Parts: sequence; C-alpha cells; structure tokens
Amino acid sequence: MSRGASEWTGSTVPAQVGLLTARSLRTAFGNPRLVFYGLLQPIVLLLLFSQVFRGVAALPGVAVYRAYIDYLMPATMVNIAVVTAMSSGIGVMAEIYTGFIGRLRTMPISMTSVLAARTLADATRLAVQLAVITGAAFAFLDFRPADAAGTVAACLLAVFTGWGVGWLFVAIATWQSKPEVMQAVSFVVMFPLMFTSSAYMPVASMPTLLRWIARANPLTYAVDAARRLCFGQAFGTALAEAVLLVCGAAAIGGFFAVRNFTARS
Amino acid sequence: MEKPRIRTHDLGRSYGDVTALTGVSVTAEAGRVLGVLGHNGAGKTTLVDILATRVAPTSGRAEVCGFDVFQDAPEVRRRIGVAAQFVALDEGLSGRANLVLLARLLGARRRQAEDRAAELLTVFGLDDAAERLPATYSGGMRRRLDLAAALLGRPEVLFLDEPSTGLDPVARVELWDVIGKLAADGTTVVLTTQDLQEAEALATDIVVLGAGHVVARGTPAELKGDVAGRTATVTVADPAVLEQAGVVLLAAGFPSLPDPFRNTLTTALPQPGAVADLVRALDRSGVGVADIAVAEPTLNDVYFALHRAGWKTP
Repeated sequence: MSRGASEWTGSTVPAQVGLLTARSLRTAFGNPRLVFYGLLQPIVLLLLFSQVFRGVAALPGVAVYRAYIDYLMPATMVNIAVVTAMSSGIGVMAEIYTGFIGRLRTMPISMTSVLAARTLADATRLAVQLAVITGAAFAFLDFRPADAAGTVAACLLAVFTGWGVGWLFVAIATWQSKPEVMQAVSFVVMFPLMFTSSAYMPVASMPTLLRWIARANPLTYAVDAARRLCFGQAFGTALAEAVLLVCGAAAIGGFFAVRNFTARS
Repeated sequence: MEKPRIRTHDLGRSYGDVTALTGVSVTAEAGRVLGVLGHNGAGKTTLVDILATRVAPTSGRAEVCGFDVFQDAPEVRRRIGVAAQFVALDEGLSGRANLVLLARLLGARRRQAEDRAAELLTVFGLDDAAERLPATYSGGMRRRLDLAAALLGRPEVLFLDEPSTGLDPVARVELWDVIGKLAADGTTVVLTTQDLQEAEALATDIVVLGAGHVVARGTPAELKGDVAGRTATVTVADPAVLEQAGVVLLAAGFPSLPDPFRNTLTTALPQPGAVADLVRALDRSGVGVADIAVAEPTLNDVYFALHRAGWKTP
C-alpha cells in the first residue's frame, strides 16, 4: 500500500467513454429482471395502442396503410426512443444522487465522457429494444413493412433520435436537484411531445392549434421519416429534416448538459 | 523542505447571501492527519469539497500538492483520493469490478488495474466478497471497499468525510488502524468528523470550524492546553470541610466548583506544576483530603469550551 504519486497518468477521453459505456451496459444487461421488463414495456405499449386506437385506421392518411399496426409501428419506434431518452436523464440524476458521479468528479477524467457514455449506452440498449419489438410486431401483430432495409434504417433513425433527444433530458437532469422532480419534468416534456405529433393520429385530423404544434414538433418529422423508410415511400426532405432536428437537439442539449455538469457550483 | 500538501489562504465560499466558509487558512504536511471538526453547517464539507475540486472557492486560494484547486484541478485530481460520508460505488458492479473500473479510469492498463484491485481487496479483507455486489456487503465492508476505491491511485492526499459513520466498534478501530498506517506511510489525510474520539485517535493537527471560520487550531495537545487545560478533582475526607477546602483553594489561586454529592471540588490547573502548589496549599491548611485526581482534558472538553465561548475566532 505504498504511497507516492500515481504511476498512472490518466486515461484518454475515448478510453473513458468506452469504459463508462461498457460499465453502464454491464449494469443494464446484468440484471435479468431489468432486461425483461425493459423489453416487455414497449411490447405492452404497442399492444395497448394498437388496440385502443384501432378505430383510427379508417381516417384519411391512415387508411392508405394495410392495417393500423403498419401506421403505428414506425411511430412506436420513435416513441420508444423518446422514453429511452427520458431514462438517460433520469439515469444521470440517479447517479448524481447515489454519489457515484460525485466520486468521478474528484478523478482526473472528463465529465463530458460521463455524459457521452450514458447517452451511448442508452442508445445501444435502445437498439436492442427496437430489434426485439420490431421482431415481435412482425411475428405476433401482423406488422408487414414493405422495405426490409428501410425498416432497419427506420430503427437506426429511431436510435439516433433517442440519442439526440437524450441529450435534452440529460441537460434537464443537470438543472434539477431531485430525481422525483426530474421524473415529473420529464413526463411533462415527454407526453406532449408524443401525443402532439403524427405518431398516433394524422396531423390533418387534429384541431387547428394542435395541428400547428404537431407541425413544429420534431417527433412528427422523425415519425414521418420512419414511416416512409419502412414502406419504401419517397421521403423527400423528411429524413434530412428529422436528422437535422435531432442534431439540433443533441447540440443544444449537449451544450447545456456539459456546461451545467462541468461547472463547479 | 517539502511544500505543504495542503495550503489555503483566506479561503471563502458563499452561496448567494449565505456564507459557508470565510477566511480559512490551513496547512497540512506530508504524513499528517488534519482533523476538521465543527458542528453541522460549520463549513467542514464545503472546505473538503473545495480542496477535492468539487466546488470552486469564491474568495482566497487553495493549493493541494502545490497545485491550485481551481486552475489546476486535473493535476490535483491525479493526486487525491476521496471517501465521502456516503459510500459512492456502482451498485451494479461487483466489488472487484468497481475497483478495476476506477483504476482503469485513472489510466491503469487492464492487468495493472486487476493487480491493484486484488492488492487492495486483500489489504481490506474483502477477498471473499470480491465478486459480490456492494448491496450484499455489511456497512463496514462497504466502507472498506469505498476506502479501497479512494486509494487506487496511491493518493498523496486522502479526504475522509466521517469515515466511521455506521461502523461497529471493532470495524471502527480496524479502520483507524488502516488510516494510521497510511499516514505513517506519508499520505496526508484530511479527516472531517463529528466523532471527537475519532479525532483524538487519528488527528495530528486539528482545525475547528464554527459558522464557516476557524475558531481554533493546533495539535490536540496545544488545543487541550490552550482551550481546556488540565483539571484537578479534590475529594475531601469529611463533607463538613468542603466549604473550607474551597476557601483554601481560592486563596491559593484555584477557584473551584464544588460537588456536595460526591464531596469534591474541581479546579483548573492553568500551568504545568500547578498541582504541586495545590497540594501544598491543602497540606498547609490541614484540611483532610481523601484523594486528588488530575484529569487530562479531552477534545470533548475543548469542543464544549469553544461551544460555550460562542465559536469565537481566537
């Protein structure tokens, strides 16, 4: 236990991100119950929405699809991404609260690595969730995308959306002082985002005010792009707009998250 | 001569209108254990948070191992270990995996990290529990694992915030033994505690904070001498002469506090050798004395003396 200046000169930022990402994934997938319920949750949501909103299938804009599940599934991919994004913020807050991040703050590592690792680990977890739920929807709920490669691209877009929006929730986490408040704020942000988008209902069927909101909602762009990818439709500027908005969310969220997180109060 | 490992000058920290710390100047050399004492809200944790680079000072300067805690925070972090009051580990990883992860973040290669983790697990008697999650550990085991994590990088300065909180008496003494060995090996230890017995057992230097400023400082012996001093308790042979004995002591320059239930008079001994004057005065007066007991002051006495004085700056 001899003392002296450490012979270790510190780790590089990529090494820190890699180590902390692997550690988060090990924790996430090392708990069988967490894995089970993490996968079950989106399947239950999909089952629920596919039945509750079945009547929407006859609406213009939806009726062009073979079944409501085909309209719903790409939106569900994006919504699962938003739920995962929310969990990134809650995860950061929980680790601030348990003190583990406090320990990291006294070590010679970049605090940006800590946040980047959290969002990357959650994006990886999201990719697994999306693969499972898309397979389940195909096997049990008669989801029949027209384009296999496009469906994979839609899943990747959802992963990218989850990662980008995750930075917004991480930024919110760095502003809050308690996990309970963080959770409440997250729901206040998440539900309007989900329900005032084109996820469950065609935008054209919404009241005027909601229609405006839906058209300004970044999720509408991600959902529309995911649908077009799954069904081989020409996506025009939809994909570029979605990617641009996600990049914007990541940049804004990342800026404030890193600024707040690295500041020594 | 080696520079002090810790040096603060007129250090302060405010949160809006609230002053958590003001005008704090302390030093600590290599191999010393600096005990930081004070009531709740006295500024102990703020001082440690500044020195451990978690919080920026709003006034004054602080250096750890010669590096400014604000300007050179990465250099400071390479040289410190921190064990906070509450165990801070990844609850999803085993004890060993926690140590390996933290060592690798410090820059160790995988093999080096595994070797260092194994070494510390053995030192802290955690070999058998190494593959278990920290949640399955007892309070003492968790505390030892946390301390092992703080020591991974062989820190020159170790910050311990109330390290024996929640430990049973045996585990507490074992922990003190480890801390003592670290200091003997040259590590500077900064120990914040409310446990005066712990400070008595470990601290070579003490700073007492009250309402954010230093109210007393020195070695434990200096503080005891300066603030509390030794006391003598005289037990009279006959309760009827208690008052007369008090008059004799007062005349000899020893104002005393009588306890008629125990037939005793307690008085302060202001300087070394005073007890001889006290004995001579009683002997000359012919008052029957059954016993004279001299008590060394404890840090408890120092602490309460400072409390009674209203935590005033010396």
